[in-house]
Amino acid sequence: MADNNQNLWHEFKKGLWQDIPPFRLVLGTCPTLAVTNSVINGIAMGLATLFVLLCSNITVSAVRKIVPGQVRIAAYVVIIAMYVTVADMYLAAEYPPISKALGPYVPLIVVNCIILGRAEAFAQKNPIVPSIMDALGMGIGFTMSLTVMGIIRELFGFGSILDIKLLGSWFEPWIVMILPGGAFLVFGFLVALVNYISRKKAETVCH
Amino acid sequence: MDEKAQEKVSEKPVQEKSIEKLVVSSSPHFLRDENIPKIMHTVVLALLPAMAASVYFFGLRAIGLIVISVAACLMTEYIVQKIREKPVTIWDGSAIITGILLALTLPPSFPYYGAALGSVFAIGIGKQLFGGIGYNIFNPALLGRAFLQATYPVLITTWSEPLSKAAKAGVDAVTAATPLALMKFEGKMTSHLDLFFGNVAGSMGETSAIAILIGGLYLRYRGYINWKMPLGYLGSMAFFGGVFWLINPAKYPDPLFHILAGGAMLGAWFMVTDMVTSPVTPLGQWIFAVGAGFLAILIRLFGGLPEGVMYSILLMNAFVPLLNKHTRPKFFGEDIKA
Amino acid sequence: MNNLATKMFLVLTIIGAVSGGILAGVFHVADPLIQANREKELKEAIFVVLPEAKDYKVLEKEVDKEKITVYKGIDAEGKPVGLAFIADGGGFQGNIRIMVGLNIDYLKLKGIRVLEQNETPGLGNRIKEPQFEDQFKGLEIKPKVEYIKYRKPEKPNQIQAITGATISSDAVVKNINNAVAKVLKNFPQEEVLK
Repeated sequence: MADNNQNLWHEFKKGLWQDIPPFRLVLGTCPTLAVTNSVINGIAMGLATLFVLLCSNITVSAVRKIVPGQVRIAAYVVIIAMYVTVADMYLAAEYPPISKALGPYVPLIVVNCIILGRAEAFAQKNPIVPSIMDALGMGIGFTMSLTVMGIIRELFGFGSILDIKLLGSWFEPWIVMILPGGAFLVFGFLVALVNYISRKKAETVCH
Repeated sequence: MDEKAQEKVSEKPVQEKSIEKLVVSSSPHFLRDENIPKIMHTVVLALLPAMAASVYFFGLRAIGLIVISVAACLMTEYIVQKIREKPVTIWDGSAIITGILLALTLPPSFPYYGAALGSVFAIGIGKQLFGGIGYNIFNPALLGRAFLQATYPVLITTWSEPLSKAAKAGVDAVTAATPLALMKFEGKMTSHLDLFFGNVAGSMGETSAIAILIGGLYLRYRGYINWKMPLGYLGSMAFFGGVFWLINPAKYPDPLFHILAGGAMLGAWFMVTDMVTSPVTPLGQWIFAVGAGFLAILIRLFGGLPEGVMYSILLMNAFVPLLNKHTRPKFFGEDIKA
Repeated sequence: MNNLATKMFLVLTIIGAVSGGILAGVFHVADPLIQANREKELKEAIFVVLPEAKDYKVLEKEVDKEKITVYKGIDAEGKPVGLAFIADGGGFQGNIRIMVGLNIDYLKLKGIRVLEQNETPGLGNRIKEPQFEDQFKGLEIKPKVEYIKYRKPEKPNQIQAITGATISSDAVVKNINNAVAKVLKNFPQEEVLK
């Protein structure tokens, strides 16, 4: 039982650092670059993805024994597309400004590699509980990544975080940070940073 | 495990690398008493007239911007080289040139912190991140300028009149439009004489064509640049600009205006000719210079921005590896199809 | 083999049907909310550009297979105060959608509100700032709206362009002129007053 719990903890933890989706797996980079010009957009996008990932992992894991291998991708895409549409309609109904800001990127969650990737690589081979842990870990890791991107870009691009002015009038905002170019710059630096820390960690383990 | 193995492989060539010892070129070989510091310090000397002109037209603030940019470039280079545990080569002059060139492309009223930020980006990301001198793909000074253009789009398009004209107007700093912006948005021409001497609003080191020309010709005299690139660039701008001028002289400016206005001169003599970021083969150099000139005209006449020199050179920089690969001269006996 | 084909068919059909059922249910709940949001947004924009209006009427016309919609603003006493309509057109990057309010005298604008735009942050997107939008209040539309650079407007049909964002300012003015011309042509004053 203890061993089982440890395994579950591992499935959850791996998405937070070791396999953190945008920075280590370099999956789901499209929303990571496109919607993170403010913290709130990053969080909303992350949570929408987390929701879809969780639901699709549960469903795929539940039906894994009855879906024939030949049509599994088609079946998964239908399932994922359904949850994405639900998320999209929910945002449009309850949070119209966020829905407007995220624009086409919510419907585009359907082609986010993380979701089909986790369904294919994990949920179709594992029972429901580990699949939930896997989805939670990956989804939270993804949300964290988008939030960090959003914090850096909003802080330098607007001088604020979550619309709260942190940098005073002396600060001339770096417009580039809220443009696509800034997204690539910040993304590059974060990938480098995550790789650097991981490598340092690996070295200390080896010695 | 895999990562470890890869690291070892990639470390090896670094240890064996020695730029000075490994020179591959076709015969005949001459040994010249040249090295990077000597070349770079000559370029600094060649930039003196342009710097002097910027001070003459825009006042002592120009010196401030140049000093800040150079200092920030040197400091960034020093810090990054220390972090990367590489030999510190800040006195080879290349960082100084980057600083000066960046400062010369800024508006005279640009804030000091902005110049420093652009310099940090130019050296830190434009040069050292690619591996230092000789490895950078893009001209660092232009990359810094492009970063500032995206970062402070308002500040970098806020121009002031040269001192002589501002004095006439009786105010300290008058915001004004550059000749290119006047042309593009209001269809107003600026006299060629003013453009030639530099008595117009614009980036502080770009306005005076004559000052840049003196420096460029001196570099040519010392043999550090060849004719192809400045001539190809300015010639191509004049040619393509001229074609549109002939089509509709009322709407498009004449070729002489194109090569005297904006950053064309500074770009042609000091940026297109950058040894690191331009092709090595003669044919490649022609394609590079002519292509960049064509792009500059395209952006000036049909793009959103009034000036296209910066992006034209940066865009062509990206093609340099391709040009080097495909314009390599065939050696004797080489299969043409190969 | 046949068995497998039947299974594939069955599984996909069931998954499709269940998904469709769930979507239909969610749509049933969400759609009225989404429509209400859209309407609220439209209403707000109309009342911003026609401040005296308390209600509006939708007027539609089909011209050259293109549907033109204008909103006739009505004040508390039921008198028409002006027309509101959308000016849609290209900007520096992407489309700019503007709600335009035209006074019922057909001579002046009552105001504009930029609904959607993708202009450069800090530069072109200043078209949505009140300083820029307010310039259109009471602006004369004849012969047409114009912009002027670096100086305060000199004529009653002029606005001052945003420094450094001439293209965005130009796009706004052009889109408004196009939309106004279309409305003037297709919705004559007498017809609207009726």
